[in-house]
Amino acid sequence: MNWYEFLLRNRSEVFERSLEHIALVGASMAISLAIGLPLGIALVRRAKLQRWVIGAANVVQTIPSLALFGFLIPVPWIGGVGASTAIVALSLYAVLPILRNTCTGIAEVDPAVIESARGMGMTPRQVLWQVQLPLAAPVLLAGIRVSTAMCIGITTIAAAIGAGGLGVFIFRGLAMVNNQVILAGAIPAAILAIAVDSGLGYFQRSTARK
Amino acid sequence: MNGSHSSARRGIPCPARGSLLLRVLALLVMLPTGGCGKRGGETIVVGSKNFTEQIVLAELFAQQIEAHSTLRVDRRLNLGGTFICHDALVSGKIALYPEYTGTALIAILNDSPQKDSAEVFRRVQEEYRARFNVEVMPPLGFNNTFAMIVRGDDADKLHLRRISDVAPYAPKWRAGFGYEFMERPDGYRGWMAAYGLHFAGEPQILDLGLLYRALADKQVDMVAGNSTDGVIASLHMVALEDDLHYFPPYEAVPLVRRATLEKHPEVRGAIAALAGKISVDEMRQMNYAVDGEHRDPADVVRAFRKAKGL
Repeated sequence: MNWYEFLLRNRSEVFERSLEHIALVGASMAISLAIGLPLGIALVRRAKLQRWVIGAANVVQTIPSLALFGFLIPVPWIGGVGASTAIVALSLYAVLPILRNTCTGIAEVDPAVIESARGMGMTPRQVLWQVQLPLAAPVLLAGIRVSTAMCIGITTIAAAIGAGGLGVFIFRGLAMVNNQVILAGAIPAAILAIAVDSGLGYFQRSTARK
Repeated sequence: MNGSHSSARRGIPCPARGSLLLRVLALLVMLPTGGCGKRGGETIVVGSKNFTEQIVLAELFAQQIEAHSTLRVDRRLNLGGTFICHDALVSGKIALYPEYTGTALIAILNDSPQKDSAEVFRRVQEEYRARFNVEVMPPLGFNNTFAMIVRGDDADKLHLRRISDVAPYAPKWRAGFGYEFMERPDGYRGWMAAYGLHFAGEPQILDLGLLYRALADKQVDMVAGNSTDGVIASLHMVALEDDLHYFPPYEAVPLVRRATLEKHPEVRGAIAALAGKISVDEMRQMNYAVDGEHRDPADVVRAFRKAKGL
């Protein structure tokens, strides 16, 4: 049996797992955006603190996912077994590219432009919203794009903590030593990552053109 | 069968293309073991699969042979799985390795699972002799099969000893199983039917390593693990007896090439002395010593041999 025959035969489960996968990615990205963007903006003027926070985010990236799950199981409210633990871990992983690109994007806006905006009598808040953020948008979007593609890939490990998603096929296939089953999870995940990445890429280019 | 993969490799100094200095150093390092004159030219190769228990058992075989013969032992541990070990054995690249009767029966002989451990052993021994010219030596004494595991305090409080004892509590319990247990023909479905158990809701399906943490943290109340996993002892858990004998036997046995036994009869005595010597508790403790306490497998085996008077 080829992997695509397996995929066709199990299409209802593949579809269901894909939806779970998208839901996990969606929730994790929403949380990491809600943390990464404001935090990045807040850290623009605080160089020292920024180094510490990005350093901490870097450290989190190096923790293997199974170890992170292990740490989270005993944590009340956010931990345990199931989707919540997976979403917490995925959000932690996804936040770094967003945070870093937000900081860099805003920092790289030409100081002369900001100076002239101030000269026109703009308040710092107006400078941020009307000058810095729009000019930094392509870099910010690049961070979100990297983060999303990565998140779709690593969401496959959510299956290790009972949160479902396309990783279920990968873990099941590994346990059964069955490559068809592994591919039935890996290929839809790859297609999803490519599709979302090219969609975001198109959006990124269209904002850059303005 | 086993989820606990360890990369505990024995460092064998082998700077094949190193500088002269390195070669001299390597020679010096090898002197105390290899150059004492007692070990002649003949070498025997011991293999193992790539997880802790296998490495411990292969080290035990190696030390036994070193103690009971003048052979030089070459350790080829961490071979990537059952089929690689089997091919290496049959083709003579290795002379012996530890295997499990159930694995030999199902994965190598492509037979269907059977319940009777004596029958499985007899069949594997016969087929290996006829087909591969390999001797299946007497079992080491423990069975590495699926095990149903509960927290030790639950076992004490509710007097749980056998899987059947769980039936009255199961409807209030959550079960946590690994992917392998859910998919295997000798796994979940047959097991639930055999014991007629019903749990609260669907089982949580987790990675094997996380199952024990989830059990310890009371996220689930019963998990399917491997009977020799070291954490069972270290986290004060209890493996329940499979009183209906549902799980097929996976007894640990040494597999040795018959050509090796004919050429070096002393190897048979050295390995046969291990028959029935390792209980499931002792195997758990050795696995934990390596995985949990990060001790060197060679030291763990030396201590075990000393305690057993081998």
